[in-house]
Amino acid sequence: MDEDKKISRKQNIGYCIVALLLFAVLLFPLYWIFVTSLKTEQEIFQIPPTFWPHILNDASYKAQLQSGDFNMFRSFANSLIIAISSMLIAIVLAVPASYGIAKYNFKGKKAIILGFLVTQMLPVSVLLTPLFIMFKNMHLYNTFWSTILADATIGIPFSVLILKNYFASIPRELEEAAYIDGCNRFTAFIRVLIPIAKQGVIVCGIFSFLYAWGDLAYGMTFIIDQEKRPITAGIFNFMGQYGTKWSYLTAFAVVTIIPVALIFIFMQKYIISGMTSGAVKG
Amino acid sequence: MKKVLATLMTTALTASLLMGCGSNAATSGNNGEATEETAVSTESAESTESASAETGSASGDVTIWYYWETEGHQAALNKIIDDYNASQEGVKVEAKYVPFADFKKQLSIGASADELPDLVILDNPDHASYAAMGIFADITGKFDVSNYYDGPVNSCTLDGKLYGVPFGSNCLCLFYNEDMLKEAGCEVPTTWDELQDVAAKCTTDTRPGLAFCSLQNEEGTFNFLPWVWSTGSTSYEINSDGGIKALNFVKGLVDSGAMTKEAINWTQGDTMNQFISGNLAMMINGTWQVPTMREEVPDLNWNVAMIPQDTQQASGLGGENYAVIAGGNEDGAIDFLKYATSDETCLYMMNTMGYISADKTLAAGQFDGDPVYQIFVDEMEYAQARGPLPEWPDVSDAISLAFNEVMTGGSTPEDAAAKAQATIDSIVGQ
Amino acid sequence: MGKMKKFFQYDNIGYLFVLPAFAYMLFFVGYPIVSNIILSFQDVTLKTLKADTKAFVGFQNYIELFQQDHVLMTSLWNTLFFTVACLLFQFVIGFALAVFFNKNFKIAKPIRGLLMMPWMIPITVTALIFKFMFGTDVGIINYFLQGLGLISNNIDWLTNPKTAMIAVVIANIWIGIPFNMILISTGLTTIPKELYESASIDGANKFHLFTKITLPLLKPTIESVLILGFIYTFKVYDLIYVMTSGGPVNSTQVLSTYSYKLSFELFKYSKGAAVANILFVILFIISLIYLKYVYSEEEA
Repeated sequence: MDEDKKISRKQNIGYCIVALLLFAVLLFPLYWIFVTSLKTEQEIFQIPPTFWPHILNDASYKAQLQSGDFNMFRSFANSLIIAISSMLIAIVLAVPASYGIAKYNFKGKKAIILGFLVTQMLPVSVLLTPLFIMFKNMHLYNTFWSTILADATIGIPFSVLILKNYFASIPRELEEAAYIDGCNRFTAFIRVLIPIAKQGVIVCGIFSFLYAWGDLAYGMTFIIDQEKRPITAGIFNFMGQYGTKWSYLTAFAVVTIIPVALIFIFMQKYIISGMTSGAVKG
Repeated sequence: MKKVLATLMTTALTASLLMGCGSNAATSGNNGEATEETAVSTESAESTESASAETGSASGDVTIWYYWETEGHQAALNKIIDDYNASQEGVKVEAKYVPFADFKKQLSIGASADELPDLVILDNPDHASYAAMGIFADITGKFDVSNYYDGPVNSCTLDGKLYGVPFGSNCLCLFYNEDMLKEAGCEVPTTWDELQDVAAKCTTDTRPGLAFCSLQNEEGTFNFLPWVWSTGSTSYEINSDGGIKALNFVKGLVDSGAMTKEAINWTQGDTMNQFISGNLAMMINGTWQVPTMREEVPDLNWNVAMIPQDTQQASGLGGENYAVIAGGNEDGAIDFLKYATSDETCLYMMNTMGYISADKTLAAGQFDGDPVYQIFVDEMEYAQARGPLPEWPDVSDAISLAFNEVMTGGSTPEDAAAKAQATIDSIVGQ
Repeated sequence: MGKMKKFFQYDNIGYLFVLPAFAYMLFFVGYPIVSNIILSFQDVTLKTLKADTKAFVGFQNYIELFQQDHVLMTSLWNTLFFTVACLLFQFVIGFALAVFFNKNFKIAKPIRGLLMMPWMIPITVTALIFKFMFGTDVGIINYFLQGLGLISNNIDWLTNPKTAMIAVVIANIWIGIPFNMILISTGLTTIPKELYESASIDGANKFHLFTKITLPLLKPTIESVLILGFIYTFKVYDLIYVMTSGGPVNSTQVLSTYSYKLSFELFKYSKGAAVANILFVILFIISLIYLKYVYSEEEA
């Protein structure tokens, strides 16, 4: 793969410079809130703005550790539990479904695809009340499950629609070879097709995780106890509480982003290999 | 395409079957709840008869929803709850914080799903809406509110019945930075003209002279209406000489730069933060900010005054009410309420939170020797309530749209007023 | 039993794979769809919410919305503008970045990976970041624009009805670029390199390679990206709710925020449901067109 196409040293440097410029421009907002969080309130409102803190101020971070009523670490853990569970549900259900759609020509397939598309179209205000009533009757109100199940409804159709393309691109011969080796349809699906579509599964997993991770409305509606709510609800409350006190707000934002960034950097190897390893190495 | 349709039909059928199940469940749930409600109402009828005699019989858990994000307020509420729980065996009270931005939604969804707490502490202009929804218990005759200010009591009342008890009140005043006014050589303004003049003189390159929360929501309406009332017009008369005059006045402030336009994105808390950071010379804000300001900036030279007037004094009446949820643990909630509204507990809450008691006698003696609070108590005499009207959210929405249109320059005061009036008339029916 | 076995041979076995996911969605989303449609034909306000029977009013809510409610038309137009503007820029920038980072230079992969960050951050936080950067007097965006000489006076981005929409569009583009980039990147890797090589040997230039090989082979990916992008952008909620709440003066009010406002702030449940249905119907028609298009393609 890496030997596919050699590029010259000169080109390499040129590309790298452009890449770094793009990087700087696109990720500037993140840098900006990071330095803002380290400034004093006066320096934040200083004109012209300073591009690094002239007086290092860590009071905004300390204040967050001290203020007792909202525990950031717990809400971060809540978000993790919710997002991972919801991702698992989405993947377990979406992988077979997308395979079924891609590889079999059963009646009503188009309608089912349409059905999956349709489920993504509802504005959040539509789902809140009916789901609330359902979760209450199922005794799931005010538990992680309510939000997990609701968040999975975003990840499933998305994953189905993306993954069906992956499965469709796998040559039929591969599957047939598996039958000759003694697999039936289900074992062939699990042993041969899923490993080949691994990259797609990983990407869908990431997206499903992120949809659940970023959700605000469900977490705030179906969970009433502050100690069970996800981190997005925490930030939203925090904004209501501190309004335009930007040193506090940006510090909170940074603390929310740092763990995400760490997970991401740690996982990056898998994400990138999932994205770029050749589709079919058959 | 035919196939698609056929499958769609099947899907729809299945869905309607599912729906059928759902609505059956809901109906049976409703029935159950209806019986429960009847039971409760007979019960409450009985307890009204012997209201004063037996209050110790209440038991069970009582959940309270409230929306104060200020830590001091939360601590005060939790303290009286702890004291109450320790004082008796039967009832165990627990408070849950529901963010303000979420409070209305949570109550209205909770109402459709019968998943509500037993007691809520809510913003008084919303009280009538929920009372009309039927989620509050009628507690007429269980609390003596005759010594309370009229405004707060009216906000708990619908069709002559009492659906809540005033928690405490606050009102708006003019806050000013004494040093900045002195620097600009200004006296404290008392009329609109003076306010316009002082605000302009205190405006510098880096800070505006004046701001008040002008969000396009209830908070903004609360801060805007005193200007209308000060002309003698009512909340329902926006397209009147007074209403248009008020809109023109606000427009003048913004257009001249004396008031910052950013205020349409500021909550009252934001406005206070700007003021204590020295980014504002004057602001309109409420009683409840005083404890925070004293704690955060003890050295800042600030003071309060009555809101400058046009033809008459006016201020906005804010505050919360307690309301007992119908069909919940009503007895337990009422028992706690008796405790919470007793003179001593009430006074503790009011003083800690920087609120003015809704009880006139308590209020009169509440802030002896505190000049800042005394001005608020004086201003209370002129504080007007919003509503009470079940459709108040609609009226408020029309008003806040009007002043936002004017402040952003999207509409002339006359056009905005006419549009708002059309909406208001369609709601209030002239 | 025999019949059963026969049914699940060949293609019908596909049902078994699809069923769990489909049932899940039907249960959790199908019911809300139906209940929302019913609600929109009733007259449920705060006074009738707890009533046992709710009056059926036919299309009255819709008629009133279209005839009397100018905010609806504003929201409709805003939603369309927001969606088209976001989609256009996200897609073009995302596509360009995907092609660029598909080149085999040293730091391509780690940088592309890091560019995913905007997508990973909860939208609530993104909204906060942009609200800060779009501040009038101390916002960094005004500072840059002044520095570049593009503006002479600070723009009051979020408090001016004329510019607030642009600000939320920019924030949403920032979120959407990685989404487009990663999906197109993955799509690009599925194109066999040999195709390019043999075409180059045949003398095709870069433009031809792009239009004759890349675009046609990426078509399924592009379709999915655009249709999903359209749906997610069209029903945007969190970002606008946190950044502007639909203001100032409804200039960023979109269908989803307006529906939310009607239902949960003004307690006009049926009107709120009707607005949501209008949004839903528009998306539904668009996906029907999309499906029909894909369908006829496959037939051909």
